[in-house]
Amino acid sequence: MTELKNRQTLDRLIKKLLDDILVLGSMVEQAVVQAVVALEKRDLSAAERIYAGDVRINKRRFQIEEDCLAMIATQQPIARDLRVLSSILEVNTELERMGDYGKGIARIVRELDKFDPIPFPDELPRMAAAAIDMLNKALDAFLNVDEQAARAIPELDYEVDHFYDRINRRLIKMVGKDRSIIDSANYMMWASHNLERLADRVTNICERTVFVATGEMIEFGKHLTVYKS
Amino acid sequence: MTRDRLDRQLNQLRDDVLFIGSMVEQATLAAVDALKRRDVAAARRIYADDEKINRKRFDTESAALITIATQQPMAHDLRILAAVLEVITELERMGDYAKGIARICINVADEPLLKPLVDIPKMAEKTVDMLHRALEAFVREDAATARLIPQEDDEIDDLFNAVQNELVQIMIADPTSVDRANHLLWAAHNLERMADRVTNICERTVFIATGEMTEFDRTDDELTAM
Repeated sequence: MTELKNRQTLDRLIKKLLDDILVLGSMVEQAVVQAVVALEKRDLSAAERIYAGDVRINKRRFQIEEDCLAMIATQQPIARDLRVLSSILEVNTELERMGDYGKGIARIVRELDKFDPIPFPDELPRMAAAAIDMLNKALDAFLNVDEQAARAIPELDYEVDHFYDRINRRLIKMVGKDRSIIDSANYMMWASHNLERLADRVTNICERTVFVATGEMIEFGKHLTVYKS
Repeated sequence: MTRDRLDRQLNQLRDDVLFIGSMVEQATLAAVDALKRRDVAAARRIYADDEKINRKRFDTESAALITIATQQPMAHDLRILAAVLEVITELERMGDYAKGIARICINVADEPLLKPLVDIPKMAEKTVDMLHRALEAFVREDAATARLIPQEDDEIDDLFNAVQNELVQIMIADPTSVDRANHLLWAAHNLERMADRVTNICERTVFIATGEMTEFDRTDDELTAM
């Protein structure tokens, strides 16, 4: 009876942590999507809001970490439970860092405000949507311990890299025509770079999902895209 | 008795962190050196050896988790253990960047290098030096040093910008060079990202010492124009 009760307690606590992870994930999603909108609209006040809002993501992350560590220390989980909890710690950190990328894009809005507008690369919102889509799928797979999905998601990173490549090529071409926009173009490249990194981190969540399911840590090919003209 | 045991385990974990750190430092310097000398055989070795870093991180993580579960550490000890978990993850990812540079070396094996590498090796040396000192500060729980190291990231950013600027000029002047320039840009990117992760280690060191998490500015959200 006590064992069953312990089991139920543990399940409930883990469920709570996973819910927290989902909330954190949606905070990150909002920050990133809104930052890209602010970038397109050159909306400085929205950017400042997103920038300042990152503190809430950081706080939430530390709360989750604390709760998770306390659970490991007090519930003494083993086997799969321990794998879930250690993975929550990593996914939690990854999400917080993804939030930094949203903050980073918000900061770029502030920097770009100092220059004349340049044509906005319309692939950027699509790149953001692709990266966020990967993130949502990866969190779903993590929650459901869906190993098969987790193995498939990193493939989607090619699409994100493809956007990255196209955006950068276009910006380099623009600079080739007009040297005076080099700073703005560089900032715009950084925005796409932040999205590219976000998608990279999604792969880490997928690795953890496989780990929860199988007990094995694998490493998906961190592919270097070989750019072809 | 239990205190002794916990201290022993913590010391072992600190040693493991330093050990993984030295593997990453070596891999990074060796990968850039291989790229510079276009030594594909060395690059393949570095690429394959990343597996050892992954393994060591995995084992260290397991040991840290077992310590948390069995010793039920509190406050400061728990902060150290949480930090070990994060730091070894950062190190493992840095190892991936070194592996990435080794892969670039393999990929460009058939093409002439666009230019002799000067700033990229400088970036590697500086990054490894920052990492080394960050890990020393970490095991000593030296918050003062940990606060200072992230400021040096500016030097890495300056080098990165110099590399990027030069490569973009080359790409504009000769569109057929774009692929090769991109390869070198990725190598520089990897080093820049590595330095960013050093900042994460320093944040954790401050956290262990003070119980407060600060977020230093890093290139992810702060960047300089060319």
